[in-house]
Amino acid sequence: MSENERVGQSSQTMQGTNWAPANALIKLEDFSAYYGTLEVLKHINLGIEEKKITVFMGPSGCGKSTLVRTLNRMNDTVSGFRTEGKVLLDGEDIYAPTVDPVLLKLRVGMVFQKPNPFPISIYDNVAFGPKIHKMTKNRSEMDTIVKESLQKAALWEEVKDRLGKSAWGLSGGQQQRLCIARAIALKPEVLLMDEPASALDPGSTSKVEELMVELKDNYTVVLVTHNMQQAARVGTNVAFLYKGDLVEFGPADEVFENPKSELTEKYIRGTL
Amino acid sequence: MQALCVAAVVAVLIPLGDMLYKFTYRGIQIISIPRLVNNPLATTPGIGNMIEGSFILLAISAAIAIPLGVLGGIYMAEFSTGGRFTEGLRFAADVLAGVPSIVLGYVCFLALVTFLNFGYSPMAAGISLAIIMFPYIFRTTEIAIARVPQSIREGAIALGSTKTIMINKLVFRFAFPGILTGILLALGISLSETAPLLYTANFANYAPTSLFHSQLGYLTGVIYLFYTSNLPQYVQLAYLATFLLIMIVLALNVVARVGLKRFSKV
Repeated sequence: MSENERVGQSSQTMQGTNWAPANALIKLEDFSAYYGTLEVLKHINLGIEEKKITVFMGPSGCGKSTLVRTLNRMNDTVSGFRTEGKVLLDGEDIYAPTVDPVLLKLRVGMVFQKPNPFPISIYDNVAFGPKIHKMTKNRSEMDTIVKESLQKAALWEEVKDRLGKSAWGLSGGQQQRLCIARAIALKPEVLLMDEPASALDPGSTSKVEELMVELKDNYTVVLVTHNMQQAARVGTNVAFLYKGDLVEFGPADEVFENPKSELTEKYIRGTL
Repeated sequence: MQALCVAAVVAVLIPLGDMLYKFTYRGIQIISIPRLVNNPLATTPGIGNMIEGSFILLAISAAIAIPLGVLGGIYMAEFSTGGRFTEGLRFAADVLAGVPSIVLGYVCFLALVTFLNFGYSPMAAGISLAIIMFPYIFRTTEIAIARVPQSIREGAIALGSTKTIMINKLVFRFAFPGILTGILLALGISLSETAPLLYTANFANYAPTSLFHSQLGYLTGVIYLFYTSNLPQYVQLAYLATFLLIMIVLALNVVARVGLKRFSKV
């Protein structure tokens, strides 16, 4: 970022954004996003550490959901959306004209706030991604993928005897774990989770949180949450956003125990 | 207030019930295999050719209106950008649905029977019925597809699905009950038309011999023409045709409703 661009930014927002993780799979370089003329993300620089959980948190409207959706180009379909700067996945800018947004989604999967299983069987839900991308040669290979994905999502034991039943017959927590299984069936490198537990009861929430911690062994997880306790429980690194600015970014224990920015401290205390 | 509402419902149900009873009673009295198979000029006059004619017209009109209506509805719901063209199309379809069928019939007479020289024919009649059916299928398809939750579309896109796959494998499947209901109701409307068929198929006691330049009979024509006959046998055939039409349209509506309820429990 040039000095000219820093002029006008308060020293509060600048202080906490100099840290970068050692092993970043995704790097945002001077990344800005606009809905029409409205700038919703402002010159974001941050790195998503590989096989860790990076948390985006902040008050409503801070841009955290927009930010996570730019990582798999889900915002492409929104009319008037445009970007500046780079989002590098393994060194390659995902917004380059040569990049196929469909193939990007094989590498960067997503789980949404409200569980959205398809109105088909549990098996067909998990098999949907591998099927449309022709990842298997025969039924037994698909059976293996479905079983492994459901096992990794801690759902296999609960549904193994009713794979042919409609996914809409599952409880909310089960549906969300099914959506996680569906996403990881494509074996992505990154898993984006946009407030995945906010629509669930506390019991299901803790199951999903346990799952997230297990998932980071195999996937790089980006979690959006407005639940600070959840962020502290599961996050490795935490980014605090405020009105489109990246205010603070660092290891979770440092951000929560020793925030560098006054805004961050106010948010953590609940006085923002 | 409640008494008034109940009275209004009863006032509608009584003549409906009376009509259903009368025609069911008379229809059952006369129904037999010869009546359903023979032509009106046989020793035991029947309406076999008219039943055949109605189903030929249903097949032709459905073959035209269903693909056009469903694909048009999918276009409107999934691919159109919402500008003036889209609004214009929607408006045109709504206007078309409101045009009196006799007017459409006369336009088809001028355009198809005369100008394009189809003659009175199954093709001209089938096309006129397709024009009548089209707006119903078009609009119910669009509405059924628009009702598919956006979350399902997002879920598919997030898995790297293209729009085509998303529509074919998920959206269409979810919207199918609504689309089917629209189709079944349009088929019922098609079977119930008389005026446009008088202009495009005329009427004949025999089955059609070709798609062009061949008049044909149809059930609604039997009711229109035979009811005022001096010969009681033909009046009875009019009752039979009425009974058959009521039963078929009733069956279509029941299937549409039951199908919609059952599939909505997904």
